[in-house]
Amino acid sequence: MSFSSVALALALAVAVGSFAVQRLRLVAFRAPAPLAPARGSAAAGVLYAFTKAFAPGAKESASRHLPSYVAGIVYHLSIFAALARLLATLLPVPMPPAVDAAAAVLFAAGLACGLALLVKRLSDGKLRALSVPEDLLANVLVDVMVAAALAVSLEPDLVPLFQTSGVLLLLYAPLGKLRHMLFLLTSRRYSGAYFGRRGVRPAPRGLGSHRG
Amino acid sequence: MGFAQRLAASEVTVADSTGALEPGAVDRAIELLRNGVDERTAAFLNSCVRCGLCADTCHVFLADGQVESTPAHKVERVARLFRRYRTLLGRVAPGLVGAQSVDEEVLQALSAAAFGRCTLCGRCALNCSVGLDPAAIVRFARTLLVAAGLVPGGITRNIEAARATGNTMSLTARDVCETITWLEEDLRTTVGDPTVSMPVDRQGARVLYALNPRELKFFPLSISAAALIFHAAGEDWTLSSTDFDITNYGYFAADADAGRDIALRVIARAEELGVEELVVAECGHGYRTLRWEAPEWLGRRLPFAVRSVVEVMADYLAAGRLQLDPTKNADPVTLHDPCNLVRNGGVIEEQRVLLRHAVSTFTEMTPNRENNYCCGGGGGMLAASEHTAKRIEAGRVKAEQIRATGAKVVASPCHNCIDQLMELNRHYKLGLEVRTLAEIVADALVLPTRHEA
Repeated sequence: MSFSSVALALALAVAVGSFAVQRLRLVAFRAPAPLAPARGSAAAGVLYAFTKAFAPGAKESASRHLPSYVAGIVYHLSIFAALARLLATLLPVPMPPAVDAAAAVLFAAGLACGLALLVKRLSDGKLRALSVPEDLLANVLVDVMVAAALAVSLEPDLVPLFQTSGVLLLLYAPLGKLRHMLFLLTSRRYSGAYFGRRGVRPAPRGLGSHRG
Repeated sequence: MGFAQRLAASEVTVADSTGALEPGAVDRAIELLRNGVDERTAAFLNSCVRCGLCADTCHVFLADGQVESTPAHKVERVARLFRRYRTLLGRVAPGLVGAQSVDEEVLQALSAAAFGRCTLCGRCALNCSVGLDPAAIVRFARTLLVAAGLVPGGITRNIEAARATGNTMSLTARDVCETITWLEEDLRTTVGDPTVSMPVDRQGARVLYALNPRELKFFPLSISAAALIFHAAGEDWTLSSTDFDITNYGYFAADADAGRDIALRVIARAEELGVEELVVAECGHGYRTLRWEAPEWLGRRLPFAVRSVVEVMADYLAAGRLQLDPTKNADPVTLHDPCNLVRNGGVIEEQRVLLRHAVSTFTEMTPNRENNYCCGGGGGMLAASEHTAKRIEAGRVKAEQIRATGAKVVASPCHNCIDQLMELNRHYKLGLEVRTLAEIVADALVLPTRHEA
């Protein structure tokens, strides 16, 4: 096993362990199950939050900003694919060239979207006013990793470079903004359950009169 | 200019009349940040990526165009404090992640933002692309401000009045009984039916109809309208001369102790009267607190159902207990959706069914239902006089929505919204009549003759 592979495996363990600790520490602060009688279904709300709510027409933040939303979706799909490709470098199985070729298209598109979102953040006055220095750092770390994934999909000998970019990303991820990859799931679950229980989303059909 | 400097500069433009801090306020706020953040709030605070796509979901931002009014900026104010006390990078590299320590200036600015730039309407939560709830973060900010003693005086005074007297207007049981007696006589004369009654403190009634005290003081006709509807539907109901107040400024302050104490008075009164159902008058946050929040505050299920009078009227209509003639309300009507009743309460279609049967022309606003805009008067803004200018400015979005419908009447099942809509009506010269649902339904009632009854 190469040095970069060992480093990647260790970084992965550190990231997973750190995320697990952060997540478990919060469980102690979980609110008790709600007592008010439900008007709708929390489960249906959570299901909606993780499915239809991603549709571009489901939320104004997406429908009114379609280019940014689509760029964000493509960017994140490329990140997930790059992470999967990164883990695959630890396996003793070579990636089929056809898969690498298809992934390269996604990585290229994702990288372009990531850079476009970075340019938007730096050039849009309101977005710049919302930003902190870490927004730049996090974007660059991810872009470098996606760029390295693109490079590896075109030139397999660059795996050590890809793994090194992965080590940096995995070690940083639990510390800063990139933690949203973990907490987003919890946020969406809570919001979905909230609007689901209250009978707001998914949108109700007809009268929802409930006598409790 | 760095983020912290930009924030400091922006704070200069924010109204700040919350006064000096109490001793220990900063320490209490820090303690809450260290040990009082629940899982849901922590997840939300760790999820915001500052994409800013939420900006134009907020009526305050749409009206003033200031970045400080975007939901993301309001979340970021709290998240910076959270990062300082709850994350490694926030402690060792605060400049990198924009972490900020709590001090008096920070808390004052947070108060101006949390009470002056947000009505807790939750429209941003419904539309956040990530799926977090900025309104819940602002509620947490308000909880911090309760700990720091930085709640606007108007909200605090209403809490004190409700705790001391049982209602925010400090009305006595005698005041209530005198008003109801007068309303009952007036109602009998108006409808020509001496059998119409407005029972008070009747033990064992099926329904306790609980009021917003502003109805007794300023809008008694909405009580008369509800009485007429209960009469027409043959309901077994009662009012209460004490502990009838459904409003809850503890909720607006995000002060769970005050919220619980205030809600408990109405709940205890309903238990004392032995009713099957607590029917909440047209008050969005009153419905939300009693229907959704009170069981959580009290840590127990309530022994009776809690419903809005809007749901009850819709049920009467569906059951054939009300006969309505829409030609009696000939002017075109539009409907404002109170955030706490609709987006945060789930009562979405009932008011529409009622209006379709009670008025000749009903036109929806765009957008409507759970995506409707806040009127600008929610979240305690009406009681926070230091934020009046911002409240009226933020109401411009609602005024434009109403104007676009061409309606002559705007209906709203919430007295808080009605106060704001009446002010918007004057300020933006809309030339409207602002009415409750019950008033419109009561006007459309086809009452059986005494012989038929």
